[in-house]
Amino acid sequence: MSRGLPASLVLDLRAIRARAFVRIVGSVREPAWIVSDAVFPAVGMCAYVLLYRALGAPRSYETLAVLGGIMSTYWINVLWGMGAQLYWEKQQGQLQLYFAAPCSRMAILTGMALGGLIMTSSRTLVAIAVGFGLLGVRVQAFDPALLVLVFLLTMAALYMLGMLLSSLFLLFGREAWHLCNSLQEPVYFLSGLYFPIRALGALGATAAGIIPLGLGLDAVRQVLLGAAARGLLPVRTEALILGAFIVVFFVLARMALTYLEGLSKREGRLTQRWQ
Amino acid sequence: MAVTTLAGRLRTAAWLGWQIESNWADPLVFAIYSVARPLATALILMGIYWAVTGGHLQRDAFLLFYIGNAFHEYVLRLVVGMGWVVVEEREEYETLKYVYASPIGIFTYLWGRSSVKFAQATLSVVLMFLMGWFVLGLRWDLGVVRWGAFLLAFGIGLVAVVYLGFLVAGLALLLPRAAMTMNEGLAVALYLLCGVIYPIDLLPRGLQELTLLLPFTYWYEALRRFLIGHGASERLSALSDGQLLGALIAATLVFAVASHFGYLALERRARKLGRLDQTTLF
Repeated sequence: MSRGLPASLVLDLRAIRARAFVRIVGSVREPAWIVSDAVFPAVGMCAYVLLYRALGAPRSYETLAVLGGIMSTYWINVLWGMGAQLYWEKQQGQLQLYFAAPCSRMAILTGMALGGLIMTSSRTLVAIAVGFGLLGVRVQAFDPALLVLVFLLTMAALYMLGMLLSSLFLLFGREAWHLCNSLQEPVYFLSGLYFPIRALGALGATAAGIIPLGLGLDAVRQVLLGAAARGLLPVRTEALILGAFIVVFFVLARMALTYLEGLSKREGRLTQRWQ
Repeated sequence: MAVTTLAGRLRTAAWLGWQIESNWADPLVFAIYSVARPLATALILMGIYWAVTGGHLQRDAFLLFYIGNAFHEYVLRLVVGMGWVVVEEREEYETLKYVYASPIGIFTYLWGRSSVKFAQATLSVVLMFLMGWFVLGLRWDLGVVRWGAFLLAFGIGLVAVVYLGFLVAGLALLLPRAAMTMNEGLAVALYLLCGVIYPIDLLPRGLQELTLLLPFTYWYEALRRFLIGHGASERLSALSDGQLLGALIAATLVFAVASHFGYLALERRARKLGRLDQTTLF
């Protein structure tokens, strides 16, 4: 692996692999977390599907809600597994080890994102089984390559946002916890997680320009449901915007990490617990 | 125990709860944080309804579910909150053993701590109703509100909520690693089971019967019926007002007794296993 590559790059690639490994292996060692990551979003999703049934909505709306429930799993992981991760590490007294390590902090965050993505994808199987098996929602014939492309773009943008949040939260103590709490449902709403984002009109369009979850979900829905998804923008346009999100969030995360690492060191907050 | 002593202990626990809950932020940020999630949940329902009906929000069905969703805030705040008290005290601040070593008594302490959650939930519910009334146009004839029955049902339901909180706190004592998950899980499960945002008639047979054992099912139905004149469930509409209140009282009594003794049994077991001060997370 190392032949021909600069030593620093090799080190960073190893750090990515190591951090991703910890996340994937660690996630299967705690059964309670498997339940909370996999089952709770599915339960919430069921409630919204039943609400659509109570309102006599067309079946395509139920599919919209199921797809939203599946994507909510990733948002929860981005918030709690990426955004608040450095807060957890601080509480456990491990954060200083990250800063003492010779690899880049971005490599650690990338590994965390990669591991989180893989781990969360395994959790979504529950929501998929509940949605398509138990609740009986259906999608139309679709292009698998386009679905994979749109999904990967969405995930890359989301986890880049997670890396940015992680950097921002580095400075925080309990605020990180509360911020994660208060970002969950408002983002569900602004991203149209359980209804077409188009229903929000200008507010939905504005939110889609800030949070990649809504735009990515809208693109995934359009690929799987076509016109019944009541999409916001053409899929191609949404893919391009997601690509732009990836670049912007990566650059911002890098800048924020460098700046806030210095700031939190100066203010002595890196190892401060129980803030 | 003298009433003044009990009141003093409750006040102290409530004051401590307020400090822990709010001292990380200034009052404005704390207020925004407190209402952001419940308002967003109400707006999600609005989005769903808006998408289905094309922007006509005045339909009766939406009001029914909006009311259920608003009052579910008490379950979320109090039940999850009381479980969290145990998690925080034991895992994060490592002070639970001192609570046990002090004369306050764990029930009094949990009651006191939960009063802050009650205040937060009440603020959220009031704001949700104000938003519904003024922003979403969810209005109804206030002449149909039966205040006496409503307040009675509301109070009884709160007793059930607090006792569920005790049970959750007991489980959190016994199951340190799973406590956080379990707290959230119970609130989500009740959201699904008790007809908060849809009538229980839509649940499969078997699950419907299970929900009829829970006081919260009758609670949501009674709150709707006494506020706007009718409930959401066809099955529960067969009950007269008196029968509905009777069912709520009976289910709450059974639930409260079971929760009280359940908590004590769980606490005994946790003591035996040495889990009262076992830290596993931080």
